[in-house]
Amino acid sequence: MGKRSSGNNRRESIHRRGPAAAGMLILFSLLLAAVLGYAQIQERFPKPDFQTDYTRPDLSTPLPRAQVWEYVDIAVLIAALVLASYFAHRLRSRRKIFWLMVFSLVYFGFIRQGCVCAVGAVQNVAYALFNTGYAIPLSVIAFFVLPLVFTLFYGRTFCAAVCPLGAAQDAVILKPVRLSSTTAGLLGMLPVIYLGLAVLFAATGTGFIICRYDPFIGFFRFGASFAMVLFGAAVLLLGTVVARPYCRFLCPLGVLLDWMSRLSKKHVKITPDTCSNCRLCEESCPFGAIHKPNPSAQSPDKQTELRRLAVLLVLLPVIMFGAGWAGSRLYVPLARQHPTVALSEEILLENGGKRAVMTDATRAFRASGKTADELFEEAGRIQQRFRTGGWLLGGFIGIVFVFKLIGLTILRRRPEYEIDAGACFSCGRCFSFCPYEQLRLGTITQKELEEMEREGKNGSGAGGTSPMENNQNG
Amino acid sequence: MAGKPERAGINRRGFLKSSLNTLSGLLIGGIGGLLFSRSSKKEMVWQIDPEICIQCERCAANCVLAHSAVKCVHSFSMCGYCDLCSGYLEPGARSRDTGAENQLCPTGALKRTFIENPYFEYTIDEKLCIGCGKCVKGCAAFGNGSLCLQVRHDRCLNCNECSIARSCPSQAWKRVPADRPYILRGDESASFERRMKRGDHG
Amino acid sequence: MDKPSKKEGVLYRTARGVAVVSGIFALILCVLLIANFLQTQSVDPLNSGALTRLMEELRGNPEDTALKEQIRALDLLARKAYFTRQWQIRTGSYLLFGFVLALILSLKYMSAFRSRLPDLRKGPGPDRTWEEKLLSRRSLIYTGLGLFVLALSAGALSRSDLRRIGRAEKPTVSADFASAEDMRKNWPAFRGPGGNGVAFSEKIPMEWNGETGENILWKIPVPMEGYNSPIVWDGRLFLSGADRNNQAVFCYNTENGELLWRADLDDIPGSPQERPRTTEDTGYAASTMATDGRRVFVIFATGDAAGLSMDGTRIWAKNLGLPQNHYGHSSSLIVFEDRLLIQYDQNTGGRLIALNTRSGEVIYDRPREVEISWASPILVDTGSRTELILNSNPSVVSYDPVSGTELWNIRCMMGEVAPSPAYADGMVFAVNDYARLVGIDLSGEPSIAWEVIDDLSEVSSPVASGGLVFMAASYGALSCLDAKTGDLLWIEDFDDGFYSSPILSGGNIYLMDMSGVTHIIKAAREFEVTARNPLGEKAVTIPAFMPGRIYIRGYKNLICIGSGGDGQP
Repeated sequence: MGKRSSGNNRRESIHRRGPAAAGMLILFSLLLAAVLGYAQIQERFPKPDFQTDYTRPDLSTPLPRAQVWEYVDIAVLIAALVLASYFAHRLRSRRKIFWLMVFSLVYFGFIRQGCVCAVGAVQNVAYALFNTGYAIPLSVIAFFVLPLVFTLFYGRTFCAAVCPLGAAQDAVILKPVRLSSTTAGLLGMLPVIYLGLAVLFAATGTGFIICRYDPFIGFFRFGASFAMVLFGAAVLLLGTVVARPYCRFLCPLGVLLDWMSRLSKKHVKITPDTCSNCRLCEESCPFGAIHKPNPSAQSPDKQTELRRLAVLLVLLPVIMFGAGWAGSRLYVPLARQHPTVALSEEILLENGGKRAVMTDATRAFRASGKTADELFEEAGRIQQRFRTGGWLLGGFIGIVFVFKLIGLTILRRRPEYEIDAGACFSCGRCFSFCPYEQLRLGTITQKELEEMEREGKNGSGAGGTSPMENNQNG
Repeated sequence: MAGKPERAGINRRGFLKSSLNTLSGLLIGGIGGLLFSRSSKKEMVWQIDPEICIQCERCAANCVLAHSAVKCVHSFSMCGYCDLCSGYLEPGARSRDTGAENQLCPTGALKRTFIENPYFEYTIDEKLCIGCGKCVKGCAAFGNGSLCLQVRHDRCLNCNECSIARSCPSQAWKRVPADRPYILRGDESASFERRMKRGDHG
Repeated sequence: MDKPSKKEGVLYRTARGVAVVSGIFALILCVLLIANFLQTQSVDPLNSGALTRLMEELRGNPEDTALKEQIRALDLLARKAYFTRQWQIRTGSYLLFGFVLALILSLKYMSAFRSRLPDLRKGPGPDRTWEEKLLSRRSLIYTGLGLFVLALSAGALSRSDLRRIGRAEKPTVSADFASAEDMRKNWPAFRGPGGNGVAFSEKIPMEWNGETGENILWKIPVPMEGYNSPIVWDGRLFLSGADRNNQAVFCYNTENGELLWRADLDDIPGSPQERPRTTEDTGYAASTMATDGRRVFVIFATGDAAGLSMDGTRIWAKNLGLPQNHYGHSSSLIVFEDRLLIQYDQNTGGRLIALNTRSGEVIYDRPREVEISWASPILVDTGSRTELILNSNPSVVSYDPVSGTELWNIRCMMGEVAPSPAYADGMVFAVNDYARLVGIDLSGEPSIAWEVIDDLSEVSSPVASGGLVFMAASYGALSCLDAKTGDLLWIEDFDDGFYSSPILSGGNIYLMDMSGVTHIIKAAREFEVTARNPLGEKAVTIPAFMPGRIYIRGYKNLICIGSGGDGQP
């Protein structure tokens, strides 16, 4: 009952037979359509028979960027890596590195608009390793493998001049402050956690958080979500006083590059020759990657330190296990980031009567024909995966933590100024501070060098000589 | 370990370092090789499956581009060229004219041209289309479903993580091979293949 | 720092000037862009409330040209605002980029004059490597411990119901609903068991008179407005009522008409603040309730649905979304096993919703490609399976009630569909005024066997049995057709029209006209009136048939008819 209109009577019904006959025709055509198989439920209205000579326009279908550009990207990447390593190792030219960096910023940043990038490629690799169905593009493999391999040979020349994210930050360094080693060490744990989380989220198919929180994609594209732009602006602003904050304290790829760089076959050195401990390069590194010499350093209690080291080594599996356990406890909030789990929780809320209004997602799901039980089962599987992943994530963070502690327990003696191979971006800023480099370049003579050394020993030198200053580039 | 140079210590470190270096190299190479064997020569691009799309209007708002890469496309082969077009007209519109009060499209991107009695052609002005899908919804509800939302690949930057795909409530976004970048309805899908072969992409 | 030379001094000052100017401009642009962004967040010109309000107004007043002009002007303004804003953001960001670039370059140039060489006069200072390491180690350990505790507490605080589901054994509950046999013994839904218009109870009264009180067992006033029909289960009669402010379910003792309980349902979560507009002849409680023999279910024109226990306790209640319905939602409920099935066809498109009878949780919610309708679903057992059949414009559609998947779909309807379908012996009958009455043959691939376009029913649903189909038109014609061929066997005119539907009981058709007179006609190939029983008041509902009893909801009273009654309640 319900729909009612007034004034119906029999006479009206007789009048209605005319349209009804027309209705018959429509019905007939519909039936015909049914016979011809109108599985295409959309085809409600027949295609018209045009009397005029109207021709149907074609639907334009612009194609994506041609495939060849993918190879161009790989070629540019290789060329940039080769040049960066050549500039840093052979030419030792900060100026050339700087201009290569500007080129990378323009090409990978503004022209290619920040995608594909080596930092994000980590996630594709993790996803591909755990999801055999995913066909990973060639360029992504290249962007993952090549920087790591080059770093294994030549140190982080990729960071110096190829990565557009690094370049954007490097360009805005104005008045870098030196962070205490404690602060830098603590903040240095952040990339490790970020990397672990990014790999976990990528491997479980949850999402690519590195891309989601990329600081500069908004600048490269002249537009992004407000939060993204704000984050990017904050990183750049901070970057004027804390040099390369993203690279040092967030970049997940940086963790891998740090390790590779420590193992690298060759690494840039401050001096092309010998170090005379003249101290001129002491403040030259904005990233705090130059270790001062400590020829007389000594731990106050050698026995305790050795015991401490032994304890740490024994504790390594315990800490790994404990951290893994803590990580696995986090599986509920972590798994919630996965769309399927988030959807299941919404469906559960609705089914439990805790929420009255359906969301687009739950409505779409309920219309999809899948049952809630299927969804819950899948969500349960994902949660289990996160539980395992949580163990690995925690274990990974634990192991890095212990190795950092071991590094802080061992006292290495350094007779001269030395580069911290893990933290050094091979940017070449320190080169020109070294008098031997100036000698190599011919900007000072042997005599001047000797004079300087004498002054240095006397502790009376005030600042550098002018040729050195002129050679600073950014 | 006193201040004097220690050959043995340095050598041990050097040996450890170089073996770890080789090991890492092998590991990276192994991962690279494994991935390479699984890799696809074809680039993949984002696309919307119109059969799953629910026209929630998120495509208009969530693209990283200020002007979304998602636009409405029209499969002319499916269109009924209706006068009373439920994709063009506001539901319950009293008159079938171009008055703003009758148009469903918030930006007037869907253009209506008279062909012959009683047929009208509907085309999309891509500069104006914001990809909200209101017309698509209207056409799907009462028409032939000839309109659908598609990622336009001359605009799409093919982000590694598409921010629209992430917010899609019906999970209608997927990656498709770059040489078949559209999921079209009707004859258009076939004719697109043909044109691909000829190398002409309108 | 060395003093810059004179030439450098000029350059330095220039750089400083550029830095200051570009810095100021960059700052201004930043503020502008942020303001622009905040404005976009607060008002989306393309979805402005003002425009929506005007459109709403126009809908009520479609001929107002001034209003149209206003809409057009506002629309143009909105589009301009939208595209101008996009242009502003784009241009603004390019400009900002330029200024920031200039700022950075000039600042960098200035900083090139600053020396970063250490003051060698001070000497290297004491070696603090070890102290630093100690401090770093300590802080790292504390941070690590902090993270550990944080992770553990976050893990302990987070709760997931999914976990519970995963662990819980699937309870093997015995069927928590009445058997089909029990359903036949009662009157569980609109138009009886399965909604098919057939009563299975025996000893149905044949004669009564509401005016004289003959065979009237009891009579009580209807407690609240509503066009829904009573349902009966095991000594209890249920009906619902609603007006602009109230929604309630009433339960009566079938023996004496005593009110057993009343359940008010005004506080359902998600219920619209303002009741939707409905027409007077539909109201807010047009949908008939349903029962599974364990609970009763109700739905109102607000989209509020609820499940109540037999003693009136609310088990669940929820809003299904405000029905977009210009007369008012009126499709009735039906229960299949543990699923409450709802035909939710609205102006914005149709839905078929199945709710869990025990919890109200949505089991499925299928979009239907149909227009709005007011008909109710029927459940039929075709021998091989149970089908849920829905009549609507443009299709008669059959679904699997368990999964909600479409079994078949036949396009044959037009207009505003109100009559529900009927089923008998492998044939489905569906009708709507202005469209047709079709006989759909389910043997083999479902297809239209015949169709009739005369004397169609507008509201009243057909009933079929024994090779015959009966259909009552709202202007007062009752026609009887051959179920196999659609041939008209007889047609008779009555003085008052029919909104109520014919019900088949024991070889007779019971059909109540709008004045409340129930005509009892032999369900036969020849027309023969057995009785004419006035109710004493107008009625448009469907009577409920129980053994020896008929319950009718009139406009004013709820009346129980049974042999032996003397009319004194």
